[in-house]
Amino acid sequence: MNNGRTLWDSLKLPRPRRSGARPHLVYLAIGFPPAAKSCAYRMRETANQFAAAGWDVTAVTIADEAWEREHGLDHTLSQGVDPSVRVVKLPLFRDDLETDIRSFTEQRALAHKDYLAELRKQDLKVFPEPVFGGWRPALEKALLQIHRERHVDLLVTTCAPYVNLAATWKLWETHRVPYVVDFRDGWSVDVINNGEAFFRESVSGQWETKLLTAAVAIWNVNEPISRWYRERYPELAHKMRVVRNGYDAASIPAQVRPAPPDRPLTFGYLGALTLPVPLLDAVLQGWRTARAEDPALADARFEVRGHIGTGWARGANAHAELLRAAAVDGVLVGGSVPKAEVVDLYSRWDAVVLMVTGGRYMTSGKVYEYMATGLPVVSAHEADHDASTVLSTYPLWTGAVGLDPAELTSAFRRAAAMARAADAAEREKARAEARQYAREEQLIPAVREVTELVLGAGGPTAPQSSPAGARVLAREGRS
Amino acid sequence: MIEILMVMGTVPGRVAVLTDALEQFRAKGVIVRVATTFDPVENTPAATELAEVHRLPTSAELGSRFVRMAKRANPARRPWLRAQRDPWVRRHAKRADVLVALDAHALHTVWHLAQRHRRADAVYGIAPALRAVEKRSADPARYRRPRLNTTGPAPVVLASATRSQTVDLAKRVFEMSTGKRAMKLGPVRWFWQGAVTAPGLPERHRGRIARRVTGNMLESGHAASAKRLALAAQGRLGPTTRGPLLDPIVDAELSQGKVSEHLMTVVRSHLKLADGFLKKRNPGKAEPHVLRAFNLMFHRIVQFDGTTSPLAEDPEKFLAPLHDSEAGRAMAAPRGRQSPAAFPPAGRPHRMLFFTGLNDNFLGPILDRYEAMPGVEVRRLNLREESILPVLSNGRTNVVQHLLAGSSKRADEVQEAWGPHLDWADTVFVDWCNLGAAMLTMIDPGTTRVVVRLHSFEAFSWWPHLTDWSRVDDLVFVSEHLRDLALAAVPRLGAPQGPRTHMINNAMELHRYVTPKVSADSRFTLGLVGLSSLAKDPRWALAVLRELRRRDERYRLKLIGDALDPKLSPAIEAYVRELDAELAELESSGAVVRTGRTDDVPGALTDVGVILSTSLRESFHCALVEGAASGAVPVVRDWPFFAGRPHSARTLFPSDWVVGTPEEAAERILALTASEEVWREAGRAASAHVLSTWDWSVTQKDFDRLLLEPPATAD
Repeated sequence: MNNGRTLWDSLKLPRPRRSGARPHLVYLAIGFPPAAKSCAYRMRETANQFAAAGWDVTAVTIADEAWEREHGLDHTLSQGVDPSVRVVKLPLFRDDLETDIRSFTEQRALAHKDYLAELRKQDLKVFPEPVFGGWRPALEKALLQIHRERHVDLLVTTCAPYVNLAATWKLWETHRVPYVVDFRDGWSVDVINNGEAFFRESVSGQWETKLLTAAVAIWNVNEPISRWYRERYPELAHKMRVVRNGYDAASIPAQVRPAPPDRPLTFGYLGALTLPVPLLDAVLQGWRTARAEDPALADARFEVRGHIGTGWARGANAHAELLRAAAVDGVLVGGSVPKAEVVDLYSRWDAVVLMVTGGRYMTSGKVYEYMATGLPVVSAHEADHDASTVLSTYPLWTGAVGLDPAELTSAFRRAAAMARAADAAEREKARAEARQYAREEQLIPAVREVTELVLGAGGPTAPQSSPAGARVLAREGRS
Repeated sequence: MIEILMVMGTVPGRVAVLTDALEQFRAKGVIVRVATTFDPVENTPAATELAEVHRLPTSAELGSRFVRMAKRANPARRPWLRAQRDPWVRRHAKRADVLVALDAHALHTVWHLAQRHRRADAVYGIAPALRAVEKRSADPARYRRPRLNTTGPAPVVLASATRSQTVDLAKRVFEMSTGKRAMKLGPVRWFWQGAVTAPGLPERHRGRIARRVTGNMLESGHAASAKRLALAAQGRLGPTTRGPLLDPIVDAELSQGKVSEHLMTVVRSHLKLADGFLKKRNPGKAEPHVLRAFNLMFHRIVQFDGTTSPLAEDPEKFLAPLHDSEAGRAMAAPRGRQSPAAFPPAGRPHRMLFFTGLNDNFLGPILDRYEAMPGVEVRRLNLREESILPVLSNGRTNVVQHLLAGSSKRADEVQEAWGPHLDWADTVFVDWCNLGAAMLTMIDPGTTRVVVRLHSFEAFSWWPHLTDWSRVDDLVFVSEHLRDLALAAVPRLGAPQGPRTHMINNAMELHRYVTPKVSADSRFTLGLVGLSSLAKDPRWALAVLRELRRRDERYRLKLIGDALDPKLSPAIEAYVRELDAELAELESSGAVVRTGRTDDVPGALTDVGVILSTSLRESFHCALVEGAASGAVPVVRDWPFFAGRPHSARTLFPSDWVVGTPEEAAERILALTASEEVWREAGRAASAHVLSTWDWSVTQKDFDRLLLEPPATAD
């Protein structure tokens, strides 16, 4: 079912580092750098902060080749990882994203959809999560092996994939290793459709309940999700903590100036295009009309950067088709951007477009980064969205107008006016508003809290608070 | 130079993505060739300018032998069967460095090409193709080196070719030996009967073979052999396979006017199949099986065109398979209404909405009364209007889909079309419990009170089982025996969420039938009004007439109304044949007169001295009551469908009107027509009874109570 199982026996883990009396933390983080995924930023900072707090960190992820099938790799992300962090890459692959036809059986080639449906069915038998459920045995085995080699003092698990929870439970069940669940967007809450993803009595519900009950701490990315969990499990409310995604200071230009009047404006979007097609369509319609109606946008460009599609459909899905058709309206598709080059991108953009799916339970990570740039932000998401809450105090925001193309047209026009008119003071005020969301600021207290809970007050080394982003800047050799 | 061969199995939905990729390949100096299963010039003209695009040979070009073979093959294999026979594909696949499947339908073709040309990369999708080209460009020397494992076709190719040829041969032999031509041969039929009952054959194969063989036996005119084989295989098949095998046999018997003894086996099987799909949360696939079960259970041969009906005989037993099935339970689940029906506020007219257009025969006096009544505002929703018809189209299928799935797009359309009318109305009256009622209850009626009237035929149909009774406030019957039958057939009518039930007789303006008889001799003329369904059973009237004429040749019979249409069903055809044979003799002697249809029924009754009801079943029989109003002496057969029940013709009419046999009828007629005085007195008494009991001037008060007064408890 997955290539990982057959390769498993030959797996050689990197030698564990022994750093005297430093406690050992395993960070189960599938998506850890160099995976070119948005979750990699949070994972990188989490590992770094635990290392800074005195832990010997072993980050567990999957092989680089596996990411080639999905959104690819960004090796510049790995440069920012604390050198003391040991990274274990398991040979697990998503079979559903396989594109090498030589590896197919004739039956799969004949009935590809049926094959994928069967694959999902088999995955669900192992763990209640399609696509990833089949990884459960391999993950459990890996954690047990790591623990055998060097005693694990704390396991931090981050989801998705949720199959990580099975391995987490295994280590707890067999060796009573305490664990933290960094739930990010949660599991039983459906952040896209604003409701319950599954009942407490369901198989997934039972997994979630037992995992959370024994956890040391439970992290979520925003207050609405955390509230959902506090209401769902009131007896566990004391363990819940909001750890926002925040932004990386290294990705933010030192200064942003108003757009000169003689240069056409450039709007930008950065992120994986996993949003619903109607949402993208509404934005492009709004953009087209704004460009046609407003002289300030006559020659404006809209640069869309990020991954489009996965597996065989990479760069060839409905999003790609829409964007290519919008080329006549000044829409440019530039592909993904290495993390280290993001700062240059923001430096030449005049406004940013926040396209996010979901509603009141969804925040997204890019909203913090967009705010930190001090650029005008056009919101393209449901009005009742957590990004609206975050942006509500941001002075260069065009407001939550929903997804009506006519309203989006007005939002683009307002952003164009702001891009030309907002002076340095206004931009500085906007950037100051975002500073509270620096990634380190979000993670340091949470890491300190967990360290104290597991090791007792004082811990091995209290993490040093530093100006936001300074540590990452230093690591990446930037000033 | 790198060469790519792409294969497209379907017309691409994203042409811009494709042309963009072709431009990228061209910029890299790559030669791209594209093989398509469709006409590229018509469907992807932009691609033809950027690459050499070639259409795989069509079935017509490949000849009839190929067509037969392709028909036998799995549809997913067909693109490869075409590509395999294409020299262009063979030539360019051999040269290609990268083989690309652009969609899932092309995967199998590329998989086969990859087995034959192992030097090439074989990938799925544009981005992987670009990556493969980049890899080859980065290290061309690596790919030039010949390797043992990339030379020549894979061994699996030979094995696969042999296997597919063998499979194809076996399929051809099977098709020939089970075809219609083969079924004309007795030994072949004998052989297959043995084969399908042989032990050890897996059920899916046994079922498939038996279905094909029985189907072809029936088509070749060997119905008896087909039935024998299907019955022989029954013992070795599971409940879901048994039914489909007997399906064509039951159909064949129904088309001959016979109710098959295996009807309920097939019904149960279809309901079980439907349950299986519902369990897998696939109501779409369950729906055809439910419809098939309905078609069989409520087939006209089963319920309407016989002298009896299994539903009338024992409704609980007959409908148990439906009520006990998951599908039946899903359709019976009450959706309820968010707010109870509200009585209209004082200070404005009572707004009534009537569904009209499908059959308004019994609605006239009711509409006239309330349209003329101060304090009542009436609107008609004509279901035959063009704007409404799309909502009703394919109605039964859509209602079943809705009930099985719990929601549907059609319900939204009904809400959109009918919602404003319901919002306006205080009370909606739906005459006939059929499509209109079922579709209305797909949506929540808000605070509008819903009243439905069930006449007769609906109780023998699927409609009461497709109506959500938790959204109906009042259900009106025209007689007690129909209420008994409906309550037994649809148990949820009696559930707490079910409607209040009422018995209110039809609205009839009987005074217009009171006309003097032309002469004293009219007493020797029996009248039967309405003949258009087999349930009227005019042959029973002929039996009465014969009995009378045996004693007194002055008696004759006047048949008023359209004749039975023999084309409606084989059962009616057989009945008409026998009726015509009887009539031939009686008509020639002047004993029977057929007047055909008339618009002047009161006029036609002036020479009728005795009015008959000879029906097998009736809900009320208005024509009899109208005849009685005219002064004719009523003689009512104890309708066999309901005879002996707590409510029947005997409880509906004065007991002396009702007789059990033609002989009893003759006795009653002889007694009451013995003299003019006796006859006129009996006629006057009958007329007085019907006018004082069923005339609209009397029954309209029941309607007023139902529609204008706040709801009371059930009668």
